[in-house]
Amino acid sequence: MSRIEQLKKDFSTTTIVFIAIAIVINIVVGQMVSLLKLPIFLDSIGTILVGVLAGPLAGGLTGLLTNLIWGIISSPVAAAFSPVAMVIGIVAGLCAKYGLFKTWWLAIVSGVIITVFNAIVAVPIRLYMFGGITGSGADFMTAYMLALGKDLFGSVIITVFTSNLLDKVFTAVLVWGIIKALPLRTTSRLSRADSTIA
Amino acid sequence: MPETHSTLFIPGDSRYHRLHPFNKLAYILLTGVTVYLGPGKSLAAACLIILNAGFAVEAAIFIPLWRVLWRTLLPLALYMGIIHGFFNPANHTVLISLGNMSVYQEGIQFTFTVVLQLSAVLSASLLFAFCTHPADLITAVSQAGWPPALAYLLGSPLLLLPAMRERARTIQAAQRARGLETHGRLSQRFRAVFPLITPLILGAIVEIEQRAIALEVRSFNIPGKKTSWRKVTDSVVQGFFRWGMVTVIIMIVTYRFIN
Repeated sequence: MSRIEQLKKDFSTTTIVFIAIAIVINIVVGQMVSLLKLPIFLDSIGTILVGVLAGPLAGGLTGLLTNLIWGIISSPVAAAFSPVAMVIGIVAGLCAKYGLFKTWWLAIVSGVIITVFNAIVAVPIRLYMFGGITGSGADFMTAYMLALGKDLFGSVIITVFTSNLLDKVFTAVLVWGIIKALPLRTTSRLSRADSTIA
Repeated sequence: MPETHSTLFIPGDSRYHRLHPFNKLAYILLTGVTVYLGPGKSLAAACLIILNAGFAVEAAIFIPLWRVLWRTLLPLALYMGIIHGFFNPANHTVLISLGNMSVYQEGIQFTFTVVLQLSAVLSASLLFAFCTHPADLITAVSQAGWPPALAYLLGSPLLLLPAMRERARTIQAAQRARGLETHGRLSQRFRAVFPLITPLILGAIVEIEQRAIALEVRSFNIPGKKTSWRKVTDSVVQGFFRWGMVTVIIMIVTYRFIN
């Protein structure tokens, strides 16, 4: 299949609607989980779903727009992290493309890969825009690392990586489970659904 | 639920409200580039904050803007002040000594600069969010000739959100009625994630097909220009300012790369 054809297939009307729904899923699920007071956020579950089922570009677009729309709705700080959300979608899509969403343990591997790329993009933003602090519970870890004599860059990397690892692995496995639970009639309409069949 | 409650937008008829959405977006970008990449970081940020305050007064949104701004920035500033004041690796000038710990001047200065930069960018973004009706942004995007899919993606989540929130509440109530614990131990709360989230996501995804068909029978995909009831006013002067801001942004970025 040529690149243009794949792009057309990836951005069918069904995919466009899927992206819109996924943006809302990100926001609503994020709020639902925050009520449970867990050390995870699950606010990229829609982004990863789209990345896996409709390709890296659609996934990246979902992440980017989620945070931009979040910025308009309630917190402009979220908009500053939109490149991070975009990378999560792209990386999830690429992982699926290379078969890393076929089984639950491969999904764990995807979760770790997503966390690494998440840190690569999030650390510079956190460091240069926010001085390494974003006003969340994870800041205590940054403070602890700094107090141990680590430099700011190292402290922020460790904070971002560890606070996201559980979240992204959990999300990736959950996405794998959701795709397994979806009726074939629905998944067959999405361009990259084959990539999850083991 | 009226849509004004689900976004930050506050209706008004000021000059800032009537500006073209792209001008306001370009201004956010210009602010960001100026305070983070431009020369004279703190001074430039302070000037922009005063300018933004002026815009906010003109648009009659100064109080709501101030409220969101300090609620976002005060906790950040406190955390940052404490963490950098005590532990910033560049610290060496003691400001206050507290037993065996000291607050250092460098850390406090660093915090001050970062908070100023953030206030400038945040106030510019809030000006956009408070003074731009989401529908105006969407209309501007389609008037400028961007693909209608993009306008749909910017607009429809705002309309879907209240309905989806309502559905989330229904699911929560239904699962609680079945005896779901959402407050107990950590492991209990972790297990509560599945019955809360899976019905919401599965239900929403299964609906996609219907929504896509609804769009296609309304000729969402046909090429050609579509007309809109809503018009966003633009003028030559605004276009001039818009491109002016883009030029300044490019100049600052290149200046940064040369130095």
